[in-house]
Amino acid sequence: MNAAATQATAPARAALLAALAVLALLFMIPIIGVVLSSLKGTTEIVAGRLWSVTTGFTLENFAEVLGQRRIYVYLLNTLLVTVPASSVSIALGTLAGYVFAKLPFRGASPVFIVVVAGMFFPAQVLLVPLFRMFLFMRLLNTLWPMIIVHTALGVPICTLLTRNFFAAVPNTLREAAILDGASELQVLLRVILPVSLPALAVLATLQFTWIWNDFLWPLIFTQSDNRRTIMLGIVSMKGQYSVAWGVQGAMSLLATVPTLFVFLRFQRYFIHGMTMGAVKG
Amino acid sequence: MGRSLWWWRIALLALPLGVYGAFVVFPLLSSFAYSATDWNGFARDFNVLGIGNFRALARDALFAGAMKNTVIWTAAAIILPNGMGFLLALVLERRVHGASIFKSIFYLPVCLSAVVVGQIWIWIYRPDWGVLNTMLGALGLPQGQRAWLAEPGTALYAIIAAWTWQQTGLSMVIYLSGLTNVPHDLLEAAQLDGARYWGRLRYVVLPMLKPATIVVVALSVINSLKGFDIVYIMTGGGPFHASDTLAMLMYDESFKRYRMGYGAAISVVLFLITLAVITIYFRQLRKLEELTL
Repeated sequence: MNAAATQATAPARAALLAALAVLALLFMIPIIGVVLSSLKGTTEIVAGRLWSVTTGFTLENFAEVLGQRRIYVYLLNTLLVTVPASSVSIALGTLAGYVFAKLPFRGASPVFIVVVAGMFFPAQVLLVPLFRMFLFMRLLNTLWPMIIVHTALGVPICTLLTRNFFAAVPNTLREAAILDGASELQVLLRVILPVSLPALAVLATLQFTWIWNDFLWPLIFTQSDNRRTIMLGIVSMKGQYSVAWGVQGAMSLLATVPTLFVFLRFQRYFIHGMTMGAVKG
Repeated sequence: MGRSLWWWRIALLALPLGVYGAFVVFPLLSSFAYSATDWNGFARDFNVLGIGNFRALARDALFAGAMKNTVIWTAAAIILPNGMGFLLALVLERRVHGASIFKSIFYLPVCLSAVVVGQIWIWIYRPDWGVLNTMLGALGLPQGQRAWLAEPGTALYAIIAAWTWQQTGLSMVIYLSGLTNVPHDLLEAAQLDGARYWGRLRYVVLPMLKPATIVVVALSVINSLKGFDIVYIMTGGGPFHASDTLAMLMYDESFKRYRMGYGAAISVVLFLITLAVITIYFRQLRKLEELTL
């Protein structure tokens, strides 16, 4: 690039950067607002001093939320649903993904399409039949329906991503291991999985975030307070703190911390994984 | 060898396909059976109505309203987040200072739950100390202030704005990944005058982004049809059903009014629309040979 061109574009670049910065600030306003609210008392907020960054800071809202026994029940329930459902769905997806990637068979395509299509349908198409199924199994108002449904609904994305990832692993690796006398399961566990850790990281992040943030299934399947997960829990706690804005802000932030932590930890994989799943889907 | 391969395929597929079949495919198909009944959610008995529920849907003003809102939502979801995501991707693909920070900021809302996003935007729209009304007041436009979520004329659009905020980052990263296939010098505007840049964008870059566009449009439609959580949190479909979507109405009929048969009929309609959308989507992708099955 010559000097004249650089001179001509410098103001343009600066303008672009300024526009970006303004837009980014607009995008951040909602989040900044919640963070500020969680650090301020109700009177401060109602008096219109939410956006003042100099006065009225307090940690009382967090003390209030963390002093509630219910919040720990919600968090524990959410973990008891999220961890098993994430890990089992990833395990199941890995098994199916291996077959579709490395042991293709006549008629595999339609089966694969039916499996992957599952991630596109609104959950509403399953609500009534699943409600009745778990009513008959006498499992309503336990954590089981959420664990089972999230596991089943995780199969499509886990199968899709593992299949795409495994397909990129050279077939010769599998063939060499088979010649050495390994079984298909040993090939999967000892040859394919060790080189597929990024895909598993992506899936763990996606599944953890989706299940943690879920609101619909606990709404359908639970009735009593001590079975609620965190997202449903903070909605029901809003009644108790209907005008305590700061406490509501603190609850929202606390409920977001685990997924935010996972996101920041796996950010690179996460964004890549979203696009990988979407573009290949 | 062939025989033992088949044994392995069946052994490895049995569990995933079994779980998926029992808790996704089977209930999905049985929705059709429930849609022909007047089951109330708890009773042992129910009557078989045949297509009675669908006849009733055709005359139901609430269903027509929810359908209209879903169409508006879908159209807005195709244009707004994808348009913004596309522009952001174009800008951030070029070596802007701090591009990765900007990407993270625009992507952050995607990670938030609908519950938290809804909560945040309820506050923005609050009539008393909400940011929006405060800003309108500060700009000297007090006549523009209103109870955004409580007025039938604005509730749906207020939710769509929140939705746009959350979804833009997703479109952005999909377009960014699409742009990685475009040679970098084709995107470099710095050495080009304006006209040549726009011509290149129009005739070279846009066609190369066709796969990404198909993906974001399909995702927008599919996610709009799923639109429930954020509506439930922000308005519950109100006021007076002004912001009902199909998914919201389905929940209301099934779990508020305990008309599960009727709710199942709505879910069958949702299923058929989604099926049509993903059929077109898979066809388009296959045409582009993006999907190698």
